[in-house]
Amino acid sequence: MLEIRNLTKSYGDVLALDRFSLDLKKGEVLGLLGPNGAGKTTLISILAGTLRDFTGTVTFDGRNLFADRGLKNRLGIVPQDMAFYDELNAMDNLLFWGGLYDVPRAELKRRAAAILELVELSGRAKEPVKNFSGGMKRRLNTAIGLLHKPDLLLLDEPTVGIDVQAKVSILEIIRSVGAAGTAIVFTTHQLAEVETTCSRIAIMDHGRILAQGTLDELIRIVGERDIVEITGEFPAAAFSEALQGLAGGRVELLSASDNQAHLAVAATEEIPRIMDLLFRRKLAVTDLKIKTPGLETVFLKLTGRSLRD
Amino acid sequence: MRRAALILLNDVRRHLKAPAVILIFIAIPLAMTALIGIIFAPKTEGSKLPPIPVLIVDNDKGLASKLLVSSFDVDQMKEMFQATVTEEADGRARMSKGKASAMVVIPKGFTLDLLEAKPVTLLVVKNPAEQFLPDIVEEFMATMAVMLSGVVQAFAEEVRGVRAMIDLPVGAMPWESLAPELGKAQKKIAAASKYLDPLLLRLKEEETQAAGARPRITASHLFSEILPGMAVMFLLFIVQTLMRDLLTDREDGKLRRMATTPLRPLELIGARLAGGWFMGLAVLLVMAGVGALAFRVRVGPLGLYLLLAAVISFWTAAFFALFHALVRNRNQAGALGAPIILAFSIFGGSMINVEAMPKAFRAIGIVTPNRWYIDGAALVREGRFPAASLVVLLVSGLVLLALAVPALRRRTTE
Repeated sequence: MLEIRNLTKSYGDVLALDRFSLDLKKGEVLGLLGPNGAGKTTLISILAGTLRDFTGTVTFDGRNLFADRGLKNRLGIVPQDMAFYDELNAMDNLLFWGGLYDVPRAELKRRAAAILELVELSGRAKEPVKNFSGGMKRRLNTAIGLLHKPDLLLLDEPTVGIDVQAKVSILEIIRSVGAAGTAIVFTTHQLAEVETTCSRIAIMDHGRILAQGTLDELIRIVGERDIVEITGEFPAAAFSEALQGLAGGRVELLSASDNQAHLAVAATEEIPRIMDLLFRRKLAVTDLKIKTPGLETVFLKLTGRSLRD
Repeated sequence: MRRAALILLNDVRRHLKAPAVILIFIAIPLAMTALIGIIFAPKTEGSKLPPIPVLIVDNDKGLASKLLVSSFDVDQMKEMFQATVTEEADGRARMSKGKASAMVVIPKGFTLDLLEAKPVTLLVVKNPAEQFLPDIVEEFMATMAVMLSGVVQAFAEEVRGVRAMIDLPVGAMPWESLAPELGKAQKKIAAASKYLDPLLLRLKEEETQAAGARPRITASHLFSEILPGMAVMFLLFIVQTLMRDLLTDREDGKLRRMATTPLRPLELIGARLAGGWFMGLAVLLVMAGVGALAFRVRVGPLGLYLLLAAVISFWTAAFFALFHALVRNRNQAGALGAPIILAFSIFGGSMINVEAMPKAFRAIGIVTPNRWYIDGAALVREGRFPAASLVVLLVSGLVLLALAVPALRRRTTE
C-alpha cells in the first residue's frame, strides 16, 4: 500500500533522513521505534505534507502521495500535539475536521456520533474541550484522525503524557482500526506499546532503519542470550579493556558508557568470570541486573544506547 | 471554496464563543472617546465658551463702583462672565490658586474721582496660567472704562452740580437746586433715548464659510472627531489578534493536521484573510453604531462609510497576513505587534491631532493607515467621497496581499 524509497531530508548539516525506505501493507500496524533525533517526526511531517526540500519518492497504491490531492482523503494523522480547537466542543471539532474531507454532511454526523462512542466521549460531546482531562483530549485527538476512515493512519506518539487507563484505551482503538484494514505507522518511545500493539516493528536511528521485522525476528538478532547490565564507577574505556581477556564469543559487549555497560552472555555462569576480570582491574561495581532478551536489548545492540538516551 | 468557507465559519464561531478579547478591544476605544469627549466637550450645544470666572473687588463701595459691579448682573453679561464680589485679600488668595481668570480691583475713591472728572484707574489682575480668557476680561473692562468716561463727560455739568452737594449732610442738601440739575440730565437722556431705544445700530452675528474653517465645536462634533482615530487603532489590535491563527496553527500542530486533508494552502490562507477582513469590518460597524447611539457620533452617508470601513479592514487583514508570515513565533508576534500598532497610531493621528504635530511627524503619518482612515472619515462625515484615502489604502493593501500570499504559502510547508 505505502512505498517509501530513498527519502532524504537535511536541516543544514544535519541529516534527518538518510535514504530512508519502507514498505507498508494494508492492515499492517508498523511500530517505528527510535530515540530522540532518529528522524521519526521528520518522516511523519514529510508524509503529512508539511515539509519540503527532500528527495525520494512516496507512493500510495502506486500513486505519488504528494501529487495526487485526492489521496489526501485516504490519509489520516494523529499528531503528537493536541491539534484541535479548545474553544469548541468535541462534536464541533469532529464536524469541522471531518468537514475538510469529502464526506457528506449527514454521514459525517453519523460517524462523529459513532466515533465518540468508540473513544468513550459520547457523554461529553457538547462540552468545551478546554474542560477535558489530558486523557480525554488524547482520545479526541485520536478520534479526529479516524473520523473519515483513512486507509493509512500516521500516529505520532499518540499516548504521550496520559494515564495508563487512557493509554490502554487508545492502544485498543489502534489495534481495532488495524484489524479493520487500515495501515498504521505508529511512532513511539514506549517499548511495551510497540510489543503489544504492532504487527511489525522498525528500529530507526540517524535517519535510517537499522532493523525491522516481527518482535520474534528482532529478538533473534541478539540471540537467545541473557543481557547483563553492570553499573558502577568506571570509565567506559577501562571496562572495554578489562573484558578483552574474554575469548570464545560467549560474552558480547553490547554497549559501554561511563559507569554502565551491557553484555550479552550465553549463560549466567559467565558472570563470575566477568566480575573477576573487573575486580582485578579495580573497577568498582555497585549493581548488576540480568534481563531476558527483549526489544530493549535489540535496541541497545543496534543503536548502542538505551531508548531513553 | 467549500473548505475555505468551512474554515471561515469555524473561525467566526470560535471567536464568538470566546469574545472577551474582541469585546474589550471594542469597549476601550468607545470608553476613551466618551472620556475625552466628556472632559473637553462644551457644556451646552451651540455655546461658544463657558462663563469666564471673574473676581471683583470693590474698595470704593460708592455709587459708580456699585453701578460697575451691577453691570455684571445683566443677563447678557452673565452668559459671558461668572462674577464674584470679594475682598482684596481673599481675591488675591483665590487668584494664586487659579480659581479665576481675572480680578478687577475698583480703587477707593473711584466714585468721587469720577464725579470730579479726575483720572481713575481700574486694576485688572490676570491669571498667568490662562491664555485668552483674562484678555477678554481686560478688553471688557477697557470698553467699560471708555463707556464710563463717555457718560461722565456727557453729563459733566450735571455731575459737577451733584458733586457739590454730595458731601453735604442730607438735611442740609439744597433739594431745590437738585431739580434743575436732574431736569437738564433728563433732557439729555431723552435726547439720547431715540438713539438708545429702539437701537438704531445693532449687532448681528454671522458665521463665515472660509475655506478650511472648522465648524463650531459641539459635543457631537468632538465625539465624531475622536472616534475614528480610536476605532482604527483598536481595529489594528483586533485584527492582529484574530489573524494570529496563522501562527498558532503551525505551533499547535493544527497546520500539520490540515496539511493531511485535501485542503489547499491557498484555501486556508484565503479563509484566514477573509475572516480578518470581515470581522474587522463588523467591529468597525459595531463601534460606529454604538458611537451613533450613545454619543450622537455622525459617520456621514452610510454607503460611503461602509466603503471606507471595508477598505481599511482589507488593508489591516493584508498587513497582518504579511506580518504573521514574517515573524517566527507567537512571542515575536507579541513583541513586535503592539509597538508597530502604537507607532502607526501616534504618527497617524489616532492619539494626537495631526495638526498639532511637528512637520516631521506629519510626514511620517502619511505611511500609516490611521492617517488615511481618519482623513477619509472626516470627508465622509461632510458627505464627500474620500477618493485619496480609498485609493491609497486599496493599492497598498493589494501590494501587501501580493507579498503575504507567497510568504504564507512558504510558511505552510517548512
